[in-house]
Parts: sequence; C-alpha cells; structure tokens
Amino acid sequence: MDSLALGLVGLVVLLGLIAIRVPIAYTMILVGIGGTWIQSGPLILLNQLKDLAYAQFSNYDLSVLPMFILMGGLASQTGLSRDLFRGANAWLGRFRGGVAMAAIAACAGFGALSGSSTATASTMGSVALPELRRYRYAPSLATGTIAAGGTLGILIPPSVVLIVYAIIVETNIVTMFAAALIPGILAALMFLITIAIYVRAVPASGPEGQKVPGSELWSATLGLVPVIVIFGIVIGGIYAGIYNPTPAAAIGVFLVAVYGIVRGKLSWSGFKSALLDTARMSGMIFLILLGAELLKIFMARAGVPQAAADFLQTSGLGAFEILALVIVVFLIFGCLMDSLSMVILAIPFFWPVIAGLDFGLSPEETKIWFGVVILVTVELGLITPPVGLNVFIINSLAKDVPMRQTFKGVMPFFASEIVRIILLAAFPAITLAVPRLLQ
Amino acid sequence: MSTEKADPGVATAPRPDTPLAKVIAGLSRVIVFWALLGGLGACALALMTTYSAVSNLLFAAPFSADYELMKHVIAVVIFMFLPYCQLVGANVTVDIFTEGMSEAKKAAMGVFSSLFAIAFSLLLLRQMWLGMWSYVRYPEVTPVLQLPLWTAFPPILVSLGLLLIASLITLIDGIRAARGRAPFTHHTPFQTAE
Repeated sequence: MDSLALGLVGLVVLLGLIAIRVPIAYTMILVGIGGTWIQSGPLILLNQLKDLAYAQFSNYDLSVLPMFILMGGLASQTGLSRDLFRGANAWLGRFRGGVAMAAIAACAGFGALSGSSTATASTMGSVALPELRRYRYAPSLATGTIAAGGTLGILIPPSVVLIVYAIIVETNIVTMFAAALIPGILAALMFLITIAIYVRAVPASGPEGQKVPGSELWSATLGLVPVIVIFGIVIGGIYAGIYNPTPAAAIGVFLVAVYGIVRGKLSWSGFKSALLDTARMSGMIFLILLGAELLKIFMARAGVPQAAADFLQTSGLGAFEILALVIVVFLIFGCLMDSLSMVILAIPFFWPVIAGLDFGLSPEETKIWFGVVILVTVELGLITPPVGLNVFIINSLAKDVPMRQTFKGVMPFFASEIVRIILLAAFPAITLAVPRLLQ
Repeated sequence: MSTEKADPGVATAPRPDTPLAKVIAGLSRVIVFWALLGGLGACALALMTTYSAVSNLLFAAPFSADYELMKHVIAVVIFMFLPYCQLVGANVTVDIFTEGMSEAKKAAMGVFSSLFAIAFSLLLLRQMWLGMWSYVRYPEVTPVLQLPLWTAFPPILVSLGLLLIASLITLIDGIRAARGRAPFTHHTPFQTAE
C-alpha cells in the first residue's frame, strides 16, 4: 500500500472508532501509533514514546491552559457570576427583554474570567435562569438565551480553544487574544439586538422592563468592580505586554482565589470541585493534544494534509469559495463533535489548504483571521442539534423546559451567528483591526 | 460528549458489598486524591508564578527558576490528572451515532474503549520507564536549578500505573453495566437502572 493510501485508511479507521464512541483522544493515539508502526516499523516509534509525552506536556506555552482553566473553575465557585448578573441587570433590566439582555452581558463578562463555553453556560445558567423564570420570560427564550450566551466565551479572552488554535498553527497567543476582541464584542452586541427584535416581534416572550432604584443601580454597579479589576489585571496586562499569558493566568488564579477567600465565598468543597473540574478538563485536553501529536507524525509522513491542500488548490475554486467550503465542513462536523476536539483534529488538515490561498493578507494575518472565523463556526455546534452541548447543560438545569423548546429558543441567536460568520469572513479587517493597531 | 460529573461528596447508595467492590472503591478514592494533589500542584505553580511576576514588576527581581519549574512540574500535574479523567469518563466521545442504543450496548462500547486505555497505559508505562533510565544514564538538567529531568518521571510512572488501574476499573464496571448489574463505583460514568 502506498503511504497516502495508508493515511486515508487511517482517517477512515479514525472516524469509524469515533463513531463507536471511543474517546477522541484514544482514537487519535491508536491510529497515530498503529499507522506509524505499519509505516516505519516499531523501533523509532517505541523510542519516541520514551519521552514524547513528557516533552509534549512540559511545554511552557501549553501551561497557560491549566492555569486559565483553574482560574475559571475557581471563578465558578466564588459568586462572581451572581454579581455580574446583578450589575448587568441594573443597567439593562429597564428595557423590554432586559433580563435576557442582562444574562447575555453577564455571560460575556463571565467569559472574561473563564475559558470554557460550557462552564459559562452552566455557571450563568444557575444564576440567571431562575431570574428569567421569575420575570415570566418565555421558557424557550430563557433557556435559549443562556445556551447562546455560553458561546460568547470562545472569543472573549481567555479562551481555551483560542489558545489551543494558536498553539497548533504556531501563532502568537497575545495577537490571537487581540484579534478576538472586536468579533467577541460584536457577538454580544448582536445577541442583545437579537433579543430586542425578538421580544418586539413576540411580545408575550419577554415582559416590559423595570427601572431599578438609584441605590440598587449604584450598589449593583459596584459589584462589577472585582470582575473588571481581575480582567483588567490579567488580560489588560497581557495586551499591554507587561507579562506573558502564563504568568497572567497564574495571577488570575491568585486574584480569584483571594477574592473568594476574602469574601468568604470559596468553601473547601467548592475549592475541591474547582480542582477536580480543572483535572477533568486539563487532562482531557492534554490527552487529545498527545493524540494529535502522534496522529501528526503518521499523517505528515503519509502526506495526507499536503494531498488535501494540493487537491483543493488545483480544484479551480477561488480562495473565498474554498474558505466557504471549509466553513461548511467545520459547521457540519462542529455539530457532531465538541469544538475543542474538532479544532485539534481538523485544523492540521485544513490549515495547509488555507495557508496556500491568497486572500490579500499576509500569512500571519491569514492565520489569525481564519482562526477567528473557524472558532466562531465550530462554536455554533454547541447550540445546534443533534449534540448542542450548551443546550444539554441548560436542559439539565431547567428540566421542565423540553429540549425542543430550547433549540427553538436558540434559533434567533443562531441566525445572528450566521450573519456574524459572513461578516467576519467577508471583512477580515473586523478581526485584524486590533492586532494591526497593537503592532 | 460525556460530561458526567462524579461528585466525591455525593451520598453513596449501597454498592455490591464484596471484597472486590471494597478494593475498587478504595482505589477510586486514591485516584481522586491523586488528582486533587495534582490540582494543589497547579495551585502551587500559580502562586510561584504570581510571586515571580509581581517581584519582577516591583523590584525587577523575578524568581529565575519560574520558567523551568512551570515546565517541569506542569507535565507531572497533567499526568496526575489522567487517571481521574479515565475513571470519571472525562475523555470526550462523539455520542451522536450511538444515542439510540441501549445502556448495555453503550457499556459494551465503553468496555472496548477501556481496552484501548489499558493497552495505551501499559505501552506508555513500559516506554517511559525505559525513558526514565535513559535520562538517569545520560542526565539532562534544568538550566537554573540544575534539577535532573528524570525527577519528573517517578510521579509520572505512578500516574500511569493509576491510569492502568482506572482503565481496569472502567473495564470491570463496563462489563457489569453491559450485563445490567450495578457498577462498583459511583465515579465511573456507567449507569444502570438500579
């Protein structure tokens, strides 16, 4: 068998194993090891395995991941989410549909503390859902809002998937963070507008707003100060070039923990579950990264990514047509797989395709812009059937709302996201403005 | 994707009260403890790095070994998380094609996955054991503290040993669940109608 054919067989086996519910990390490890073994015998491979995993895990750039995950895990346990919601509600609650708007703003705010969409959805869900129900919002709008709000975290720094993308394509994490800023804020604004339009179109879905008294406005706004300070020190420090992402994340862990302890909000059991959440998520990510490394060794030797790039580049399609095709592929697979696995698994195959195309941008700019577009795309899988993970999480928090209702409630936000993907893909300047400014 | 949460503090229903069940419950606790220890390690790294960054900002005097300690220790910490991930089913799967299947069939597929995990942990345990000895024979050290790189390996090997044990536990619980019997521990993601 020639090596390209072997690589393609490997891909088929990979997808087959994924389909029968073998964890994605193990399918990549198995196909990577098996393929390399067949390609070039066991000796080199066994030798590599002696320190490949240690070398891979003892990577300073990657160490930012467990740090940010720990920071987010602690933030979930310290009541910061409640303060965020209260502060947002004091300002936005006066509008029709305002409590839902406040939930979106609070999700965006929590996304600034946590790198995980699902953590944002579950943390904000437990705070905002009861409020939305209390104000008699339509159940589908209530659950749909939180599920969609959770996706905001993918672009608002710190984002785990964003960091992983930056590491895979070897670009600067700080530039990636800068690039994600405007698209992230754009998403939050578009969600707010979506709610405003929706509650006007379907007045029964969201009640009139209520203005809060001045004293509540003042104290609720004060409650936002810790989040703003923490975000300012951590992410602001990164943007300003005061420290690298890893120290920034470590400082974030420290600040959130100190806040939790001083305010008496961080209990021992809360601390323990933050640690175990960190263990679950970090372990899962690093095992997939190890699998990706093994798969890469095999696939690169088989020449599969290069063959894919050659195939598409000689297909006669234009650059933006190929991009559209790639977006559709990510959209479909993003619906079947979680965003992180999707990025780690597929970017190594698709990035060479995109890198060879001319979008009128420098190679570095293409990397950053493509990353932002693709992350927004895969994140949509969190709120679409069949496996919209955020919808599942919200469903477990609001058991009386049928899943179908939540998927229905998410639809306006889905439409808003499609518009955003088109905007981001058509106008790279939206993404590249801040990185260009920082240069 | 599985997001089954295993809360170690959850009230425990009676489990099969056999010696094997007790051994498995004990080993599960060790695995959870090991992950918590790793988490504390991550906290210690965060503290150390914060200290170094602040000291650098205020006194232009960073802790010069912060970079290498982070690299060295975070690798150990990640390995310490792996057995827990295996035990609670944190490794993501794609469930869409198997959603309609019975719990017993899903458990059977879980058994299949556990076999991979066993094979992987055995292979890595053997190779990294050899890897440790080559680092002992041809020492490499970290730049500032002159810490030999092999020092990361003993806790990593313990972690891989626990990963093997965790995979065996998920294998046993998977087989039990496939037969419609109650799993031995509350940690593994296998569910049966009890």
